[in-house]
Amino acid sequence: MAVKAILYIMERDLRYFFRYKWWLAGMVSMNLADLFIMAVVYTRMVDPKIGNYFLFFSPGITITALFAAAFMIGREINREIRREISHYMLSLPIKRWELAFGRVLAGAVRGIIYMIPLLLTTLAVTALLAGNVPSALEILTIILALFLISIGTSGLSITIAVSTTSFEKYVTTRGVVYYVLFFCSTVFYPLKFIESVMPQAFALIAKYNPLSCGADLARSFLLRNQSIELFMPLDLMVFALIFASAALFAYMKIMQK
Amino acid sequence: MPKPIIRIVNLTKKFGNLTAVDHLNLEIEEGEILGLLGPNGAGKTTTLLMLTTVLRPTEGTAFVGPYDVTQEPDKARTLVGMAFQDPKVLWVSTPWDILNWHAKVCGIPSNEREKRLRWVLEEVGLWNERRKSVHTFSGGMRKRIEVAKILVQRPKIAIIDEPTTQIDIVGKHRIWNMIRSLRDEGSTILLATNELYEADVLSDRVAIIHRGKLLVCDNPKKLKDSIPGGDVIEVVLGKDVSKKCLEEVERMNRVVDVLSTKPNHLKIYLNKAEEVLPQITEFFLKMRIPIKSVQMSEPTLDDVFAHYTGLTIEEAEKR
Ligand SMILES: Nc1ncnc2c1ncn2[C@@H]1O[C@H](COP(=O)(O)OP(=O)(O)OP(=O)(O)O)[C@@H](O)[C@H]1O
Ligand SMILES: [Mg+2]
Repeated sequence: MAVKAILYIMERDLRYFFRYKWWLAGMVSMNLADLFIMAVVYTRMVDPKIGNYFLFFSPGITITALFAAAFMIGREINREIRREISHYMLSLPIKRWELAFGRVLAGAVRGIIYMIPLLLTTLAVTALLAGNVPSALEILTIILALFLISIGTSGLSITIAVSTTSFEKYVTTRGVVYYVLFFCSTVFYPLKFIESVMPQAFALIAKYNPLSCGADLARSFLLRNQSIELFMPLDLMVFALIFASAALFAYMKIMQK
Repeated sequence: MPKPIIRIVNLTKKFGNLTAVDHLNLEIEEGEILGLLGPNGAGKTTTLLMLTTVLRPTEGTAFVGPYDVTQEPDKARTLVGMAFQDPKVLWVSTPWDILNWHAKVCGIPSNEREKRLRWVLEEVGLWNERRKSVHTFSGGMRKRIEVAKILVQRPKIAIIDEPTTQIDIVGKHRIWNMIRSLRDEGSTILLATNELYEADVLSDRVAIIHRGKLLVCDNPKKLKDSIPGGDVIEVVLGKDVSKKCLEEVERMNRVVDVLSTKPNHLKIYLNKAEEVLPQITEFFLKMRIPIKSVQMSEPTLDDVFAHYTGLTIEEAEKR
């Protein structure tokens, strides 16, 4: 029964997601447009020592898209709380953890679905420009890593959504989280660059930032520019575990006022 | 004596300084329709939300079946279903999707689901609109979907918060009939309302609450019979009446109680109204207070409420 309950909760969130299919298609196209603008502009501006910036950035933008899509669930849950639709969800004859877990997973799956077109583009770009084609197993590993990021992100957004009462507070917190996670990360620039221009603390955050780990893990397979270190997958697992648990806790302890 | 299926024990909910539900004690018997009657802000919705484990009691608890809502909320919820006062629908859905999903989550098997959905949607008059997005729906239509949820679910304990507000009179009667048949099929029904008529015609017993406290609970007939003076005369006067006048009316033979709902509007509770009425009209004539209208009636639940609070429900809502 637990599996069924979780699947029903996911079904609701996924259907809701697909009601916006045209909007989503528009967003994906915009992300792709960003990517190609980067290709034309930045590749000529950026220090060639970094290598082809377009190739470097492409996995990064995949992560950006994944993060944004997985984060959407929090906004919806925050709105449900404000409109007291959450009362309905809380009154359903399913266990609280099932409800919470279903929503975390739904958020994560949405992230993956949204990210797929960007990942495919990245694969095509790296195949064409760098001549690298990862094996099926490697692609699977990338998707698994991205799924862990997606779970962590979904959990994080739900935790914020449940703990902040007003929409303003939610948006502010979301802004701060976005800023810290992307600024101190290797999504847009390599760690070496961060170490050379930013304080040591920032570099440390950037190194262990799960978004960095995800981006670098993908790059290592796509560009073969670096090797995977053990801490990377561990970091992703810890991130997913912590924030999935936080979301469960928020649902079970904070949501019921 | 049927055994209680819900036992509310000292149930209390505070929002900051405001005590919305104040040490409430109440038992709901298996298989009955219990109407929770009270003015706006009496604490009806707050009580119901604690029973469905949406809100956490500040003090006290309630037992739903054998389960304490504060100790085993997951189990308590398996017995209850709730139709909310404000419809909880996402505007991107259709009635069919909303009800079908609800039925699935409540564990109704797919072959049964279709049948029930069709029946309920036809009964609440939304069958032709079942595939339309609810964002085009009127308030009454959304409310119908909300009530339909519980009719599809048929929970052991159905908790229904003001089922017919915003719904037209034909719709009201249909919904009342469906609530009755839900009870006849074995569900226990706890229904919150601030409509006297609804509470009166639908409930096996009525619990009247005011400011989070229980005033009385009994069957509607007994409640009405319990107010002293079996008759009510309502008098509307052309002038405001003084306190002295009121006291004189109160002293009349067979008059039990006088309630001045407005300065020129009296409700007189008495026995043998037909005999006292001439005396009353004579009195006002003598005092040179013109009488605009006189009405004799049987006591209603409003009079029961007034007897306990000194206010009619309408007045209580204004305060
Ligand atoms: N979440 C909340 N925060 C603060 N106060 C609340 C909250 N919910 C309810 N109240 C207050 O608690 C009191 C009881 O509210 P409740 O909604 O239970 O009344 P009600 O009997 O259902 O009224 P109505 O007939 O208007 O639906 C009211 O004074 C209300 O303002
Ligand atoms: Mg209410």
